[in-house]
Parts: sequence; structure tokens; C-alpha cells
Amino acid sequence: MSKRFVSIWFRHLKTDWFILRRPVLQAMPFVLALPDHGRMVITAANALAQAQGIDTGMAVADARALLPSLEVLDDKPTLSAKLLKGIAEWCIRYTPVVAIDAPDGLLLDTTGCAHLWGGEIQYVKHILTRLKSLGYTAHACMADTIGAAWGMAHFSQGSPILESGQQMEALLSLPPAALRLEADTIERLEKLGLRHVRNFIGIPRPALRRRFGQIFLQKLDQAIGQEEETIQPVHPIQPYEERLPCLEPIVTATGIEIALQRLLETLCLRLREEEKGLRVCCFKGYRVDGKVEKIEIGTNRPSHNIAHLFKLFEIKISTMEPALGIELFILDASKVEDASPVNTTLWETSCGLDDPGLSELLDRFAGKIGANHIHRYLPAEHHWPERSIHAATTLLDKPQSTWKDDRPRPLQLLARPEPIDVTAPIPDYPPMLFRHKGKLHKITRADGPERIEQEWWLQEGQHRDYYSVEDEEGHRYWLFRSGHYSADKTYRWFIHGFFA
Amino acid sequence: MSYTELQVTTNFSFLRGASHPEELVEQAASMGYKEMAITDRNSLAGIVRAHVAARAKGIRIIPGCRLDLLDGPSLLVYPTSVAAYSQLCSLLTVGNFRAPKGECHLYKADVYQYAHGMKLILLPPPVLNGLFDFDPSFEQVMKEYRDAFGEDLYLAAARSYSGDDAKYLYRLAQLSARLNVSLVATNDVHYHEPARRELQDILTCVREKCTIYTAGFRLHPNAERYLKPIEEMQRLFRHYPAAILRTQEIAGACQFSLDSLKYEYPEEITHEGRTPLEELTFQAWQGAKQHYGDNIPDKVVTAIHHELSFIERMNYAPYFLTVYDIVRFAREQNILCQGRGSAANSTVCYCLGITSVDPTKFELLFERFISAARNEPPDIDVDFEHERREEVIQYIYRKYGRDRAAIVATVTQQHQKGAIRDVGKAMGLSVDSINRLSGSIRDYTDELFESKRLTEQGLDPGDKHLCKVLDLTRQLMGFPRQLGQHTGGFVITRGKLSDLCPIMNARMEDRTCIEWNKDDIDALGFLKIDVLALGMLTCIRKAFDIAKDNYGLDLTLANIPPDDPVVYDMICHADTIGVFQIESRAQQSMLPRLRPRSFYDLVIEVAIVRPGPIQGDMVHPYLRRRNGEELVEYPSKELEDILGRTLGVPLFQEQAMKIAIVAAGFTPAEADELRRSMATFKAHGMVKKFGEKLIKGMMDRGYTLEYAQRVFKQLEGFGSYGFPESHAASFALLVYVSSWIKCYYPDVFACAILNSMPMGFYQPAQLVIDAKKHGVEVSPVDINYSTWDNKLEERSGKYCILRLGFRQVKGLREEDIGILISERETAYTSINALRDLGVPEAALEKLADADAFRSIGLDRRQALWEITARNERPVALFTGQPSDESLEQAVSLPRMSTSEHVVHDYAATSLSLKAHPVSFVREKLEQLRILSTKELNEAKDGQQVKVAGLVLVRQRPGTASGICFITIEDETGFANLVVFEALFEKYRKPILQSRLLMVEGKLQREGEVVHVIVKCCYDLTKLLRHLTASQEEQLPLLTLSRADEKPEQDFEGQRRKVDAREVKREKVFPGGRNFR
Repeated sequence: MSKRFVSIWFRHLKTDWFILRRPVLQAMPFVLALPDHGRMVITAANALAQAQGIDTGMAVADARALLPSLEVLDDKPTLSAKLLKGIAEWCIRYTPVVAIDAPDGLLLDTTGCAHLWGGEIQYVKHILTRLKSLGYTAHACMADTIGAAWGMAHFSQGSPILESGQQMEALLSLPPAALRLEADTIERLEKLGLRHVRNFIGIPRPALRRRFGQIFLQKLDQAIGQEEETIQPVHPIQPYEERLPCLEPIVTATGIEIALQRLLETLCLRLREEEKGLRVCCFKGYRVDGKVEKIEIGTNRPSHNIAHLFKLFEIKISTMEPALGIELFILDASKVEDASPVNTTLWETSCGLDDPGLSELLDRFAGKIGANHIHRYLPAEHHWPERSIHAATTLLDKPQSTWKDDRPRPLQLLARPEPIDVTAPIPDYPPMLFRHKGKLHKITRADGPERIEQEWWLQEGQHRDYYSVEDEEGHRYWLFRSGHYSADKTYRWFIHGFFA
Repeated sequence: MSYTELQVTTNFSFLRGASHPEELVEQAASMGYKEMAITDRNSLAGIVRAHVAARAKGIRIIPGCRLDLLDGPSLLVYPTSVAAYSQLCSLLTVGNFRAPKGECHLYKADVYQYAHGMKLILLPPPVLNGLFDFDPSFEQVMKEYRDAFGEDLYLAAARSYSGDDAKYLYRLAQLSARLNVSLVATNDVHYHEPARRELQDILTCVREKCTIYTAGFRLHPNAERYLKPIEEMQRLFRHYPAAILRTQEIAGACQFSLDSLKYEYPEEITHEGRTPLEELTFQAWQGAKQHYGDNIPDKVVTAIHHELSFIERMNYAPYFLTVYDIVRFAREQNILCQGRGSAANSTVCYCLGITSVDPTKFELLFERFISAARNEPPDIDVDFEHERREEVIQYIYRKYGRDRAAIVATVTQQHQKGAIRDVGKAMGLSVDSINRLSGSIRDYTDELFESKRLTEQGLDPGDKHLCKVLDLTRQLMGFPRQLGQHTGGFVITRGKLSDLCPIMNARMEDRTCIEWNKDDIDALGFLKIDVLALGMLTCIRKAFDIAKDNYGLDLTLANIPPDDPVVYDMICHADTIGVFQIESRAQQSMLPRLRPRSFYDLVIEVAIVRPGPIQGDMVHPYLRRRNGEELVEYPSKELEDILGRTLGVPLFQEQAMKIAIVAAGFTPAEADELRRSMATFKAHGMVKKFGEKLIKGMMDRGYTLEYAQRVFKQLEGFGSYGFPESHAASFALLVYVSSWIKCYYPDVFACAILNSMPMGFYQPAQLVIDAKKHGVEVSPVDINYSTWDNKLEERSGKYCILRLGFRQVKGLREEDIGILISERETAYTSINALRDLGVPEAALEKLADADAFRSIGLDRRQALWEITARNERPVALFTGQPSDESLEQAVSLPRMSTSEHVVHDYAATSLSLKAHPVSFVREKLEQLRILSTKELNEAKDGQQVKVAGLVLVRQRPGTASGICFITIEDETGFANLVVFEALFEKYRKPILQSRLLMVEGKLQREGEVVHVIVKCCYDLTKLLRHLTASQEEQLPLLTLSRADEKPEQDFEGQRRKVDAREVKREKVFPGGRNFR
């Protein structure tokens, strides 16, 4: 049986995707653009923009001159690869061999697949209809060779099916660009007046090879079917999921534990081999009565440590109600990250954040008191005290800057400064006494002011003059006056932190 | 006990300071400061401005500089005397020369060497270390500095409100006592008022290439670095009163002022021990003899006497001699030059050969150009051939040395679009919204951001973030951004130039320039000579050379026969394609109306079609008066003297300024300031002030309000785009000379102008068509006949044949083709002969594209077929043996039609000698009842017409309130189209996109000038696409079997395929130039 291939060309791959995300774009001409040598160059244009004569390679400024209302969006260089990969994986339903044809197409090896859809025409029609319902404009053609399918998909308006053995005839009326040639070869052919395949198909091969190289002949042969061409298919990702069906329904905690232990062993083994670790994992039990019992754990760093993970689940096993019994267990690691293998050191000295013991401890705390009760703060590059720290999301977050230690900052910073009454000499000398929560503090020592202005791009308002003060009892406080001293009392005093 | 601010950073420390020197001075004066230092980073660029501003405010500027060293802490330095100032300039020069442009690399050792006579302030690190003390290394360096500078060294103390100021000052005081270096108070001023902090933050972001959101600690925590009142500084340093006192000590010691700099003319300009005046007198009379022979006309004699006595009175002789020297050099090297500028059209300059405008031809009074009252240096700009100006520049460097001659700087200012881009980026706007913002800016309006235009661009003018961006942009506009190189202004001195001002490397190789711009050196009374480049001079010189070779003529600018009526006839018919200045469309439509018949008419012609007179609405009154349709009258007798020559309508810049002086009572200095304030960036709101004064002054003297307003409006136009009479006169000469050549030797003219491309308004295609129209035969590029340049061959009829050169072929490089030309003893007969010479494959291919193989019997397609068969030639021993290729059976390539050839000609050389592209579609156009441009010129006024052609130029001048002017061309000539703004918006796409444009509209005829007032536009570019479609496409295809294809099978989307991947051939036609 001869081979059959389908080439799919997504004419507006990227713009179609943008329309999917923002349906309003459907009705307006828009382009995607990327900076290139200091100017914005169009990398994709939707059909409406193209109808206005705007096409890729044009500078945005020129296009704007043409069509002032043109919408310009920032392109993402990796977008089309990502989209194609997604669609390719989706297409595996049609054939196991799907390849990406950069930058905007797919190649399907459909040999022996079409009859399952009721014939080739139904097959292609099905694919195109489905793609269209997904929102993508696609052109496709099925042929004996990749080259012919590609050429017909891109350059022919006829039927999407090229009967077996017809590729030669079909190619004759196509332009040389349909043979997937280099741009300068195409240009040269054009200059020589060889605008269609039929113009040069009869020229002796040595004469062609001398002028356009071996590759040219190869592409021609591949399209006609005189030379085999292979494709590099994509593979679908296997989910990190393990199943354990039970012969008898499980009703005991011990039974559940054993099931969990088994599943963890297989899952962790696979994770370890792939140098991955799980961050979120769900353990599900399918009960005889059709209900699903599940428990979920999270970790602070990717882990495939069976004992540790087991411990995290163990706390929660008691919440699973087997009722009449569980007949299927599934362990599903929904979030998996790369875990570099830990070097075993001769003397364990690590005791910082890198210590896996720490993160495992935190995992267990989180399992008991809830993850939202444990915080980790990192320095943020802001002068304004409230913004100078931010909460880290993971243990692995690296501080963007070092902790600033050249200015005094209190051990405890109040989330919200509290107003106080103050007696202070004017205009900007440290206060002499202040009253906080009904208690009077006489200040014996003070330093300041440290003047911090509002970050005007975030917030408007008065600046603050901070003072570090010590009262008679030796307690130290961080006070500030908001605004300059002025006679009309627009300034106010606050306490913002405690040193010790 | 007073205080003097000694550490002030202006915005000439680029992207650091956030206030203009003028603003700082003004603020200081209003706060009662008597003196203030200016200390920019490794630069003195801002001190002249500060000095000028301070002089006006009655305070004193202490020139200084902050030296950022590569191997030690920074120092503030202040010269105490002229000698010390020279040292400082030399020091900076040394640092500048070491580094690429814009940087200055200095080391401690340099400062030790040059610090004599300077006061220095050491800047300590801004923070204490973890032990609440300075780093020991700092103390070490400080000791070293103290040993080097002794008593002259001070230690800066600044209070920055950083929380530990008390500790910091205490440590400083300790250090100062320990090392015996006095403490001096400064405030590290970066802006004149606290509100500027926001802008300073933005500048920091621009400098650090980050946004305000990511800048973090690179920004300062507070706004304390503004110029503080004296009392506040005293309060802040109440514990260290001596530090305040010390500022007075330094200020007292630094009595050096920029006023004490003396500029002296160079001395190498005289011969045989004559004084400059004697030399000038000698040379002037010598020159007069050369020009007029022994019988010098009385008029000239009187003029020379008069001018020389004026020059003597003003002591300008050295200046004239310096210019003369440069011009003499150019002349010896056969470089064409022509002087212009205020003094250039004097009789003396004519005798010296600086200008070729014969002063006897028309009345140009010398004093009109130089005002004795202002005592400013005269101004002569000399234009040189643009291709050879570098020779002149290098001559100046060679003659006077790099330490005595340098190019003046231009301060590049932040303009609207640059400012919005910088601020927008720093404020984190997306590229997209920045583009929209700058799209909402319109040139030629005072209003920066009209809320209407913002809304049009889809922006919300009420948005707070946007308002902030706009506000900051407004502040940033007019800020100096970098020091560029003036187009050609030279400063030459007697002594070392680096004694007066730091010199730095320019971006271009072999150029050095100073840090000050022309206003700065004007303020200090330095001499400046402009050595400028002019493309037309190159063209004229090439024309002279060609005329000499082919016609044996020995032409110079001065000996072209003057006042030739035939030449004026040509000009009156607007037959001026390629001619200097009057070739533009606006000029061409003016010529038949103005009908110039004399040299002075040309002067007016050059000056009148300018934004100044157009905006001031002076053009039509002048035309009416000239044609006798309106009475020539003057508002007053005094104005008759000024406006007599231009029939009562002010057309020249000088006239406008004279009116301000005579009619509004301005002093000459004020009038000049007025002009400057308009010419320079309109940031300071000075224009309005002057406007009120002018109008009031004129009304007080009995002029009507309407007239006064009109004069002011015109002045406004002149400020930026005006044309002084003497410039116009110099240009008019070149207009005449180029017209003369074109008139009598169109072959020479076309050849010269093609060899000087790119230049002027027109594409090679138009120039060639024009030459052919004048009876010049033009031959195509050919490997056996062409040289790199275009050249003239033997006579054929009246003129020589113009042979196009290889330079017309796009993408061909001169060095690739050199060997082809140099080895061409006998005609080449095969492509392989060229290959054997080593002509690169790529070059051969380009030649084939240009169809340059006709003389060996190959058209472009056959040639390309042969050329592309590469790497199969027998080499070494087998050279000359038949190659595989010759054994190859002949392949018949598709024949090329003429139209296809024309398209490829355009693609390769931007022109075709075979036919005009439009001629191939003429039949179709006729079917559509579209007129040719020739028929258009015969049509009646007011007739409805249709016309089509290739778009040559689209113009939307800012002066024409949105009107778009388009010139189209077909095989019979040109047509001028006018599109009004509303229609432009409607037909934006066809206008901007089409190569072949068809319009429908009403014909408007005014004398010889014909316009089409456009009503509709259509893009007919598609017609051109068929030019390349070869015949075979119409042949029946080998049809595919579609037996199984059922018609009802409709695959959505499959049908609507556009020819997206089709090669668009029509793109090869030049898209027309867009002038905005």
C-alpha cells in the first residue's frame, strides 16, 4: 500500500489564537509585531489586515500610515511552536505519526488511517471541520508524498485529496515555491522565467543540479515520490499517574496504606528516573458505591522521597472513608517539577534552605496547621518600608537583592502604622515623648530623621521622617512623622515598629 | 555668615541632573545666593549657559567640575585663575582623548599633574560601613590627596536625611580633624526644586535602562538634593558652622570668571610680515585686479575702501583671512566652494574668491549684514562639495593642529518624540502605547498634546498615569541629551584651544570637537567658521569636469555667462528638474507665476518658497504686487527703506528683524534674541513675551494692530525656517549655474547629477527621462562600454550620448567591478572571460539582472542561465577546455516580453531605457477614459479629468494644514495632484499604497501651472502586475483528473485563498518619496 500524507497549513495560526483569547479582535484588522533593529516589524497579520494590504515583514509605522486604526499587539516568538505542538498532540487522534512543519503547519502520516473515518475525503473534512470549530483557519491536502501534499495545501485551491500517483501532474501547474525551496532559488527561478514546475521539469537534471544544487533535485524528487522522505513525529506526554485496581474492595486503613505505599513506589521510581519531583499530589480512592475519596498533599520543593511523601499522606488517611470498600486507587501527581539529583556529601554540613530536611519539616507543618500560616519574606527593592519586603511563594525563591542593612530597621514592623501623640521640637528634631496605647514613653535617646519620600509612581502623599528612639525603660521604637512640620497641623505622628 | 552652593549638577551631566543651568541660576538668584558653582561630571559643557544666565541675574558663577576618577574617589575642582582654568581644560581634554566619545577617563595621577591653582573638594562615600565608620581605604586615599594638594583640599559634608546624618557628620569631622582637611558644606544639588525629583528618577531609569518599577535602590529615597535656601543650609549645619564658613573661603578664592577668557585669532594667515589688515588689503586689491583687470570699476573701488575701513574699525581682518586661507586651499585642490552667510556677499569676499556672486550685480550693503552695534563676530559659512569636504576639514586640522582647531558641538536636545519615548519606557508603558502617544504629537503646533488627538489614538486623557507621563515629558523636553558634532562649525585659536575649553573625540574618526555649542562660543566671542557640505557643488564640479573632457570648456562658478535670457526662459517654464533649490514641486509651481528674469528675481524665488513667508502669508501679496494687480504701498517711510526691494513685502529674515528694530523700537540685541528664542526650542515661553512687546511697540509707533500681528506671525515663521538675503543670494548663484548647464548641456548635467546621487528630489528614472526629453541619447549599462560612473560618449546630434554606469546597478560594489573595467582592453566576448578575471559570481548576477550583457548577445535571462551554472569550469591545467556546460544541450528559456524587461530594469537599476511602465497599460487606461499627463496639460480649466501615473512624491508639508501634494508620472510627463485633508483620510490607503495611482478630479489651471484637485483616488497597481505575466500562462493547462471530486464538497476556508504567497512584482517600482 502506498503511503499517504496530509499537510495542514494554518494560514493565520497566531492571529487565530489571539482572536480565540479576545473575540473582539475578530472584527478588526490587527497585527502582531516584534522589534527588529529598532523598529517594530509585523510578524503576523489577520485576514482583515491582509485585506487592507498589510502583511508580514512590513514595518508597523508603514502599516499604521496605511491604516491608522490598526491594532498592534506584541508577538511572542515562541508562540507558534507552542501552539503547533498543542495541535499536533491533539491530532494524534487521527494518526499516531504527527510532525510539526515549522513555522505554521503540521504533517500527518495517514497511511492506513483514513478508512476509519469513512474514506479519505471524510477524513480530511473531519480534520478541517474540527480545526475550524477550534477557531483555526486551515488548509489541508492529502497526497502520496509530503512534498506534494505540502505544495497543494499551500498553493492550490482545488480538492484537498490528490489521488494516489497524481502528484506529478498536480505539481506541474504549481509555482516553484511549492517545492519548499530556499528563497534565493525561488527568486532565481522567477528571474529565469521558470514560474511553474512544468517549465523546468523537462530540463536535463545535470543542468538543473549545476544551477540550483542537489537539494533542489532532492526536493523535486521527494515531491514527485521518487525519493522517500521521513518526518519526526511528536510524542504525547505521559501523565504522572499510577493506578492500582484491587481484586477485593479495600475497607481497612492498613489496606489503604499498603495501596498508597505501592503506588508511591512506582510513581517515585519513575520520577527519580526522569529527574523529576512532585509538588502537588492527589491520592484517590474509587469506592464501590461510585463515590471518590481523595486526599491531597503539597510539598515545598520537588520530591520523590517515598518515606516523606508517605508521611504527608499518612496524616490524612484517616479522613478517607472506605464505606463498602474501595476498588481502585489512583495516585496522580498534578504538578511536577525538575528535581536535580542531590549530591551525597561526605559530611552533612548544609543547614540552610538547601537542606531537604527543612523543607520536609515544613511540609509536615503545613500538613498540620495549613500552608497559609507559614510565611517566608524576601527583600524587595523599595525604599518605602511597607514595600521593602514581600512574601515568598516557595522555598526556592531567590532574593532579588540582598537585605539592606545600612539603615536601622525594626525587628517587628507593624503591618499598619499606628497613630501616636508626640511632643517634639520643630521643625525636624526627634520627639521628646510619645503616647502609645495610653502609655507615655519618655524618650532618652534618638536618631534621625531618615526622610523617605513616597514612591510617586505608586502612590501619592506626604513623605515620612523616621526616627529610632529609646525610652526610659530601654525599649526602642521606630516612629515617624508623616509630612513636614507645619503650623496648620497637616502632619501626623505614627509608630511603625519595635526594635527590641 | 553666608553660604555658597559648591556642588551643583546640571542637566549637562547627562541623565543625572534634572534642571537646566538657567533654572538653577534663577532659583539661586531668587534665594539670595551671590555665587554658585557649577560642577558637572567630567565636563564643562553647561558652564557657559549658567554664566550667561548668571550675568543677566547679577550673580556670579564659579566654573567647576566634578572629576570622577577611575582609580579614586571623586573630586570637585574649582580653578582660581585663568591659568588654573586652562589646566582644568587640558586635564579634561587628556581624559576625553583617552576615551571614546561621551566618556572621559581620568586617573589620580592626572589630577596631581594639573591641579595647580585649583581648589578641590573630596567627596566621601555616601554611607558608613557596618562599623559606623568610613572604610580605612578611604582614609588612605584622603591622606594621599592631602599630601598632593595640601591646603587646597577640602572634605565635602552633605546632609542627605538618611537617618544617621549626625553620626556621619561626626565621623567626617573626626576625619577632617585627624587629617587636617577642612570640612566644607555642600548639598549635592541635582535639581532646583524638590518637585523635579520625579524627573530625576526618570532620568535615572533611562540611564540604568530600567523602568521606574524595577529601578529599586538605584533611585534616591528622598528629594533632598534640591537647591536649599541659605538659612536652611545654615540650620542643617548648625553644629558645624565652620563648614558653612569654608564655602565662603573657597568662593572668595575662586575669582576666575569666563569673561576673562580671551579669544585670539590665529596668526599664520599673513605673509611677509604684514599685519592682518595690511594682508587683507593686499589680497583684496590683488583679487580685484584679477576679477576686473586693471580698470577696476569705480563702484567696486568705493565698496572695497568702504568695507576695508569698516573691517578695520571692527578688527575683523583676521577672520576674513582665515576664511580666505581655507577657500584658497580648496581652490588649489580644485574643490568647488561657495561662501554664504552675513558677510560672505561683500565686495571684499568676492575679490578674495570666497563668493562668486558679483556684488556689482545688485545692491547688497555690507553693514546690512553685520551690525556694528552688536559687535558680534561676522558669520561666513562656506559650502564645499559634499564628497570632498573631509579634505578641507583635515586641512584645517593639519594646518592649525588638533590642539588649536576643533569642531563646535551641537547639544542634541530632547525633542517631543524622544522625550515621550524615554519617559514612556521608564514609566513602563508598552511599546504600543508609546507609539500611540508619539502618534498623537503633531509637529508645527504649540500645543503638545491635544486631548482630542489622544482620544483619537484610543488613550484616555484623564488617566492619571498618562497625565504623569505627559507632565514629565513636558519637563524633559528641551533637556540636552548628548553632545553631537556641529555640521561644520570650526573654532580656530592662536594659542592652545584646550586652554579655553575641553576638547573631545567626536564619533566620526579623525574629528575632534569642543564641548560648547555655537551659542556658547558666541556668548564668549569666539570665532567660528562653518565648513559645510553641499551636494549640488559636487554635482556642479562634476559637470565642469565632464564639460571640459567632452566639450573642452573651462567653466568656473564665476565665468558662467550671466543673465542669459534663454536660461531664464527655461526657468520660467519650470523646466527645472534636477536644478538646485528650484526643482521642488512648490518651487516649480511658483516659477511660472513669478517669472524670474534677473538674478535678484532668483534670490527672491529661493527665499519666497519657504515655510517662513508661506506661514506669514507673504507670498500672494508679493505676487500680486509684482504682477501689478495690487498697489505697492508702504505703511511708513522708514519701512520703505527696508522693504523697497521686495515691493513692501518682507521676505527675508533681515527685513523682519529690521522691522522689529525700526518699527517696534527693539534694540538690535533684542531683535537678535527674539530670533534666537524662536529658533531654539520653544520651551521657555519667551516667544509670547516678545510678541506682546513687538505688537505694542509697533502700535505705539502708529501701525495698525493687524499689520503688527502679521509681522509677528511672520517673525515666528522666520525664526526656524527663515532665509537671510545673503544666503538666498549665494544659493541663487548656484541655481543659475545649474540652470545654465542644464539649459545648454543637458547631457553634461544629467551625467553629473546621476554621478552625484543621492541628491535632490528626483529618482534616476526621472532624471534620465528628463534628459531624453531634452534630446540626449541614453545608452544602457553594458559590460563592454560602461564605467563605474555614468559618462558621456561620442557626439550624436547636438549632444553626447550618455552611457549609464555601473553605479546605477543596485547592490553592485565598486571594488567588485574594478577589475572588469581595468582589464577591458578589448571587448569581452563571453561570461567566462569575466569569470577568469575574478569578477565575483554575485556581481555577475547583478550585471545580468541589469541586462548588461547585450553586447555579447545575451539578454538578462540567458546571461543569468549561464552565470548560475557555477563551479563547473575547467581550472588550472584545463583552463580554456570546453566545460560540461558547453556540452550541455541548449535549454530554451521562456522568452521575455518588453514589459517584463522593463519591470526587471526597474528592479535592477530603478530606471528603464526600453519604455515607460505606464505605456504598457495605456490601452487599458484609454478604455477607462483616463487622460495621459500630456493631454491633461491641454485640458481646460475646471474640466473633470481622470489621470493615472506612477507615484513619484507624496508630500504633506506642515504648513499646508493637512493637504497632501502628489506628483505622478506617466510616459508623457508629470501631473500634480492636490488632495485635501478630508479626502486624504478617506483615500489614505490608495494614496499611500499604490504605485500606479488613478485619480478623478477637477483641473485647475493658473497660467502654466496645472493641478488636479482630487475627488477620488483608485489604486491601479494591479494593472502593473500583468506586465510580468508571460504568454504561456494563457495556454491550456495539463488538466488534472478531477473525476471523483464532487462539486458539493465544500471545504470551508479552502476557497478563499488569496495569492498571499505570490511574489509581488509591482514592488520593484520605487514607492514614491514621502516628505512630511
